[in-house]
Amino acid sequence: MVIYRDEYRLYDFGPSHPFSPVRLEMLTSLLHALGVWRQPLEPPEATREEVLTVHSERLVKRVEAASRGERVPDLEYYGLGTGDTPVFPGMDRAARILVGGTLEGARRILAGEKRVLQLGGGLHHAQYDRASGFCVYNDLSVAIRHLTQAGLRVAYLDIDVHHGDGVQWIHYEEKEVLTLSLHETGRYLFPGTGHIHEIGRGEGVGRKLNLPLEPFTEDESYLEVFEALVPWALGAFRPDVLVVQSGADAHYQDPLADLLLTTRAYEAILRLILEYAQAYTGGRVLFTLGGGYSLDATVRVWALLYLVFHGLPLPERLPEGWLKEWQARLEKPLTPTLHDPQAPRAPYPEIPRKEEIARRNLLTLERLMELVRPHLVH
Amino acid sequence: MLVKDVMRSPVLTVEPGMTLEEAYRFLLEKGIRHLPVVAEGKLVGILTDRDLRLAMSHLNPGGPLPGSTPVAAAMTRKVVTAHPLDPVEEAARVMREGKIGCLPVLEDGRLVGMVTGIDLLDALLKLTGVTEPSGRLEVRLPDRVGELARLTGFLAERGVNIHSLLSYPEDGGFVRAVVRVNTLETHLLAEGLRQEGFEVIWPPKKPW
Ligand SMILES: [Zn+2]
Repeated sequence: MVIYRDEYRLYDFGPSHPFSPVRLEMLTSLLHALGVWRQPLEPPEATREEVLTVHSERLVKRVEAASRGERVPDLEYYGLGTGDTPVFPGMDRAARILVGGTLEGARRILAGEKRVLQLGGGLHHAQYDRASGFCVYNDLSVAIRHLTQAGLRVAYLDIDVHHGDGVQWIHYEEKEVLTLSLHETGRYLFPGTGHIHEIGRGEGVGRKLNLPLEPFTEDESYLEVFEALVPWALGAFRPDVLVVQSGADAHYQDPLADLLLTTRAYEAILRLILEYAQAYTGGRVLFTLGGGYSLDATVRVWALLYLVFHGLPLPERLPEGWLKEWQARLEKPLTPTLHDPQAPRAPYPEIPRKEEIARRNLLTLERLMELVRPHLVH
Repeated sequence: MLVKDVMRSPVLTVEPGMTLEEAYRFLLEKGIRHLPVVAEGKLVGILTDRDLRLAMSHLNPGGPLPGSTPVAAAMTRKVVTAHPLDPVEEAARVMREGKIGCLPVLEDGRLVGMVTGIDLLDALLKLTGVTEPSGRLEVRLPDRVGELARLTGFLAERGVNIHSLLSYPEDGGFVRAVVRVNTLETHLLAEGLRQEGFEVIWPPKKPW
């Protein structure tokens, strides 16, 4: 089941902002052009009360006031009105519509649906008391809380290139939520957190897992640690449902970060996630979108997600008409194939530190597993 | 950042007449490693867990002291101290040069706090701004008037808030500035900075 409504595109920080609604427009038009678009379920917007299940009232009040164009003196304290997360008219409702989509996904899972793809959301940086990093309300946490309140054990998997800090902190002390984030190390990259030592507190200890990866990590190294960590953690935690934040910004073309995944790694990751869901959660999995700031790469990665999700065959080339239209609109060339170009015309120059990067990632994985094993494995 | 901002208070103290055995139990119970010794309101010495263990060990040059010995016999009498208004970097320097693990903080002769190596690490964490969601920029600037202002001016113009800014001298007439900024867009900032002629060390320029 796919969840989507056109009003997701109201979540718009302006034409020069990287979190652009054009990504959704491009994606849905590509799926139409490929002839695979199926009528999605249109979710209701989340209510104020639903947002308040994971956010403070004082944050929500500020978002509401700023949405109405009122002047709020302490806005920056709440992470709003900054360069990254500026305010815009109607922001509160736009954010609640995205929350509504992910929450509807959770409801559908509870009603017996196995696979849900929410074509939006994934605002993993929003925190209890603070908007952050393009994220106003945390749709993922609202959905996760809805699932745990119904008695389910939730595993949250975050493949966005940035640490899923908001989701981690909101559920940091909860034992029924496993968070698992693979990201570029926060030594340099926003939000600076996601260290292996952040493993949860109180009842949540050992259930918050972070695998910070070296800048310039490539496909093989990523897949090596992913396949070692994710099934191990899911097998130990035994979740009822998997919630996946499918950020596409770990792609090598992304302008904001430094991991070097190609679409081939993304395809493998998405297929593995579906396999893991089959093996560990009875097939129950809820996908959301997330970050992804190269239009060219992000749209191809999310089209892959849509096709793999539905078990559809993957086309080699993208539809000519669609390419023509968008190249004209964006005034730049686009990759004409669904996948990135492959050797001999490699997509990016060789990374001299390749071996060292892979070794360091393995070492980080070992240290993380050592740290959480006593808590996670019974 | 001053010593008063990072010191711990109130301070747990003992009297010179307390026995070594009592003092050791006290350290274990409170989970601390440094004990200031106070007599009639005045600091007269300091006793570390290491002093205690050595005093009661057969490795003690004068032979092991019995557990009933008063702490006055094992404490260090010449104590290096700090003032609440000392800058933290000065406290760090004194501790590093003296190879000591803590500084009692005195004001008008009264013991008002303690600074340990751990407190200085906390101060360092705070100075680097890593506790706020942020990205990191590293820029090499010529060591001359106005360069840092040019950098911060550039960030201000882009609406980027600076959580922390550390700078330190580098060989060859340069200053390295490490800035934690509240933005995901450090790559775009770096690109803009390079266009303005700045030498950006991190994030690196991607060759594709
Ligand atoms: Zn991201």
